[in-house]
Amino acid sequence: MLFTRFLAGGLKSPVIIGALVVILAIGVIVPVLNLAVAPGSAFHIPDHMVPLFGKYLCYAMAALALDLVWGYCGILSLGHGAFFALGGYAMGMHLMREIGDRGVYGNAVLPDFMVFLNWKELPWFWHGFDSFVFACIMVAAAPGILAFVFGWFAFRSRVTGVYLSIITQAMTYALLLAFFRNDMGFGGNNGLTDFKDVLGFDLQSGRVRSTLFFLTAFFLALNLLIAAAIVGSKYGKILRAVRDAEPRTRFLGYRPDKIKLFAWTVSAIMAGVAGALYVPQVGIINPGEFAPANSIEMVVWTAVGGRGTLVGPIGGAILVNAAKSWFTGVLPEYWLFALGALFIFTTLYLPDGVAGLIRKMVGKARSKPRGKDEETEAPAADAPAGAAE
Amino acid sequence: MPLLRRLVLLTFAALALAFPATGARADAAEISAIVDRFATASKFPQVEAVIEALGAAGDPLAVPALRALEAGELQVAPDGRVVIERGDALLDPVTLEAAAPVEGRLKKVRTKNSIRRMIGDVISGLTLRAPEPAIRMTAAETIFASADAAQLDALEAALAEETDAGVKSRMEEARAAILLTASDDPAVQMAAIDIIADRGDQQALAVLATYANQASNADVQAAAREGVAEIESTLAMWQAGQNIWYGVSLGSVLFLAAIGLAITFGVMGVINMAHGEMVMLGAYTTFVVQETIRNSFPGAFEFSLLIALPLAFLVSGLVGLVMERGIIRHLYGRPLETLLATWGVSLILQQAVRTIFGPNNREVGNPDWMSGAFMIGEMSVTWSRLWIVVFALCVFGALLFAMNRTPLGLQMRAVTQNRRMASAMGIRTPWVDALTFALGSGIAGIAGVALSQIDNVSPNLGRTYIIDSFMVVVFGGVGNLWGTLVGGLTLGVVNKFLEPYAGAVLGKILILVFIILFIQRRPRGLFALKGRAVE
Amino acid sequence: MTDTQSQSQSQSQPVPAAAKAPINPALAPTPSARKDTLLYLDGVSRSFDGFKAINELSFVLAMGEMRAIIGPNGAGKTTMMDIITGKTRPDKGDVFFMGDIDLTKHDEPTIAQMGIGRKFQKPTVFETQTVADNLLLSLKGERRGIPALFYRDNRKDRRTIDGILDKIRLGHRRDELAAYLSHGQKQWLEIGMLLAQDPKLLLVDEPVAGMTDAETEETARLLREIAVDHSVVVVEHDMGFVRDLGVKVTCLHEGHVLSEGSLDHVSSDPQVVEVYLGR
Repeated sequence: MLFTRFLAGGLKSPVIIGALVVILAIGVIVPVLNLAVAPGSAFHIPDHMVPLFGKYLCYAMAALALDLVWGYCGILSLGHGAFFALGGYAMGMHLMREIGDRGVYGNAVLPDFMVFLNWKELPWFWHGFDSFVFACIMVAAAPGILAFVFGWFAFRSRVTGVYLSIITQAMTYALLLAFFRNDMGFGGNNGLTDFKDVLGFDLQSGRVRSTLFFLTAFFLALNLLIAAAIVGSKYGKILRAVRDAEPRTRFLGYRPDKIKLFAWTVSAIMAGVAGALYVPQVGIINPGEFAPANSIEMVVWTAVGGRGTLVGPIGGAILVNAAKSWFTGVLPEYWLFALGALFIFTTLYLPDGVAGLIRKMVGKARSKPRGKDEETEAPAADAPAGAAE
Repeated sequence: MPLLRRLVLLTFAALALAFPATGARADAAEISAIVDRFATASKFPQVEAVIEALGAAGDPLAVPALRALEAGELQVAPDGRVVIERGDALLDPVTLEAAAPVEGRLKKVRTKNSIRRMIGDVISGLTLRAPEPAIRMTAAETIFASADAAQLDALEAALAEETDAGVKSRMEEARAAILLTASDDPAVQMAAIDIIADRGDQQALAVLATYANQASNADVQAAAREGVAEIESTLAMWQAGQNIWYGVSLGSVLFLAAIGLAITFGVMGVINMAHGEMVMLGAYTTFVVQETIRNSFPGAFEFSLLIALPLAFLVSGLVGLVMERGIIRHLYGRPLETLLATWGVSLILQQAVRTIFGPNNREVGNPDWMSGAFMIGEMSVTWSRLWIVVFALCVFGALLFAMNRTPLGLQMRAVTQNRRMASAMGIRTPWVDALTFALGSGIAGIAGVALSQIDNVSPNLGRTYIIDSFMVVVFGGVGNLWGTLVGGLTLGVVNKFLEPYAGAVLGKILILVFIILFIQRRPRGLFALKGRAVE
Repeated sequence: MTDTQSQSQSQSQPVPAAAKAPINPALAPTPSARKDTLLYLDGVSRSFDGFKAINELSFVLAMGEMRAIIGPNGAGKTTMMDIITGKTRPDKGDVFFMGDIDLTKHDEPTIAQMGIGRKFQKPTVFETQTVADNLLLSLKGERRGIPALFYRDNRKDRRTIDGILDKIRLGHRRDELAAYLSHGQKQWLEIGMLLAQDPKLLLVDEPVAGMTDAETEETARLLREIAVDHSVVVVEHDMGFVRDLGVKVTCLHEGHVLSEGSLDHVSSDPQVVEVYLGR
């Protein structure tokens, strides 16, 4: 009851409602165009495009998660890829268990890579992943707990700004190194792959692919709704107060560390869910997902879309990744040039992203912006932390 | 090691030429006669007998022939002559002068592993009384390792004549090693153990440890065990010293990579994510300089690094200057955006280098003075690492001077401490910023020159150092050169001490975790600026 | 007294008895007297890198009192506020609130929740939020994050906010972003935020800096109105404004109290004259 009322709080803005409708519509239309429309038709979406679009939506979810902390809380996380990957690994571990004895070595108890490494029994942390429900809990718990512990330490000691960014990067880098190790028990270099089924359904079948795509769209919509509800609540106001003038909130009696910790943890869980949906669609999770470069790319999706707007980063992630797919197909040499230029261009000329640009144009057309609406409010850039001095 | 071997071979050659003049215990003709017996030695035991005879003759003139035999160069001609075939040349096995051409096919004198070992022992026996102390030393060392009782007489004879104290003690150790196994008098063995234990290195440990497992006498065995323990503790000390050295060497690399970053971060509060790429540009500058020298002035190769240093400084500094003027200037007061924009620059620089130079590692050579290694006790020190440590200290000294004694340094410090006040005092802060950024980038460039000597020069070079550099800066604290030095060295040493216990990767992870925790306790680093101005 | 003793014992290094005693024993409030004070500072010192920002400062504020603090730059006014609000820990000395709450043992949020509000020298409002939201965030009550997720707009809070808006003359700008307010209006909004906190003690740092004369007069009126049911400490340079307030004045210099009393008394104190006019 309380929670429903809380979620209803996310529906205050027409932009959010519109975005929710669009996302859910895409979630239905893409599978329909894939399954129900004949392959020859101009409207047919080929099989390989469905997981590709699904991947974009997962990235969009990660960008949304990042926006919640960066746009509304001023924490530029260079480590969200770690949460994404942890969620992915949790799901990947379950999918590995579902392979059962159909692996190359035909071992019913041990995944292939453990047989290969001559392991005799399943490590303790793999127990439980036989259960899909347990895996789903871990999808949220693994990134959530990491984020909680990390944030608890970091925010309590008032680590802010670039320092915080750098240690988030160190965090994901440390995990990258750790997951590369064979003896960590997560498949080392190769990660987890060769998945067969999810809940007994063949991952290669068109229907499962479509269902996964729909679920991704659904969770993206759900996360957007939750994020909008959080941002629109009084807590959201506190969050932005902390972002703009953290010391000031302390003198009002708020504990910025606790305030930030909640948003940070929620955001990490969202990223974890995105990773969990990403893995069955892409078919592999490996330590490369922890690479610092991945996390920074998430930042550019958010920046291009427009941080502090919720809807913007979703569009940004899809836009940038579509561009990436195009470039790597046509001009693979130049993708990094384009991406680098995008970083520079966005920060120099588009500090509020595409969403900010649109808002400015709409604002000009209306001549006077309404200050009250969440979605039309201009959030300041990361205000210097010492503002209260 | 190759250097050592080359040295030994060289001295052998010199020795062979010099010997007839110094007089011999047996003359050349006699040795030649024995060497010629290889012609008829078709079975291994016969070959062994000839080698023994050469050893018994006790003349170092036999050494070249034995070496040739060991290397598989000793051949028998159809006419029964024994010659050395080296490349296209045929040499007399004793005089090493060119031998008469041979009709027909040469037949190699065959050897096997045990014979080659035997040759080594015989050679060391023969060279025990060579005129050069270094050769005698090597001979004694070989005997020490083999502990071959057959060499005892030759050794004692040599010992009686030996005048060089260092060689003498080596010979005594060798004798002790022989006596330890050869003698059955416990008193002699005890004395031998004492001598070997005092030597205290890896070989001594091997000798004693082997013996401790097979000793017949319980007392002697106990003494040997004690000796082993003693040596082990000595070696542990040396190992610690070695670790510290490795740590210092890694630390100075980290320091070099991080110091430019510390300067730009300290003065401008700007995190330059492209800093690693500045290092990479420096390394590629070295590559280009060396290529040019190889193609046009091969003689100047020894000076290639000295030429590359200023060029790398200029190249990276210039790129930094352009970056500051073109991008960063517009982003002041927005540190997080600066971080992103510079990341964009780093992607572009990386891809540009990849496009121009290719994605693979490029070969950057070490000049002679940068290659090789030497030993201090049980510590091995490579010249390249030593020079990098020295270089890092020079860079540190130069920066310390620049910051404390030059007008630019004064202005930079003023801007670090209070930008607005500095500006009000008439310091042109934009100018200081630009120069600071150029300086920080330029130093990254010369760090690249140093790194090109010990690491692969590839487009990813910068990526491998950037996070470590951040850690050094964060750990050491901002705005303080000493912080970066101490931070770099500490992290280097801690890293190298963790490695043996935790492995390289886990060690690194532990360090990252440690820094993440450390920054919680001291968010501004080890050597942070204190006072109200910071809060 | 037991409080003070246990505290001095808990300090690791022994403090000489002389150093522990207040400068002037005659002025030292007795323990029983402390019970009736709102704010009680005794022998407080704090140095930064050897610079003594606060030096053996003793200061007492009675319940319901309004006090003005004057003093040249660097006299330690802001550091004193920092110590009271928990931003800075004193090197030594006692700081008590409401007689027996040891403020040196608490951090900023706890102290704020106990009822000490602070207005900064430079107006600090949440610029990206509306005037009304600024007040809503300051409103006394729940300070935890998760309950704030489920907070609902209600008539009582709205009435309180409207009341404060009227008091600070910003009713007509209720829904505008705080960023668009003028300098003086931001100062008032910040005072309004203090009122919304409904603290027992208000610390107001230079409220009229940069204000026009009319605004200054208005602010003095506002502060007097607040002082009716709150205790207030005002730090201010503007002597006219201090005179307007008409309250007891404490003059700080180099980290300790130079003179205390009515404005006339203080301004005729030869030491004060010397400090302000130079030797």
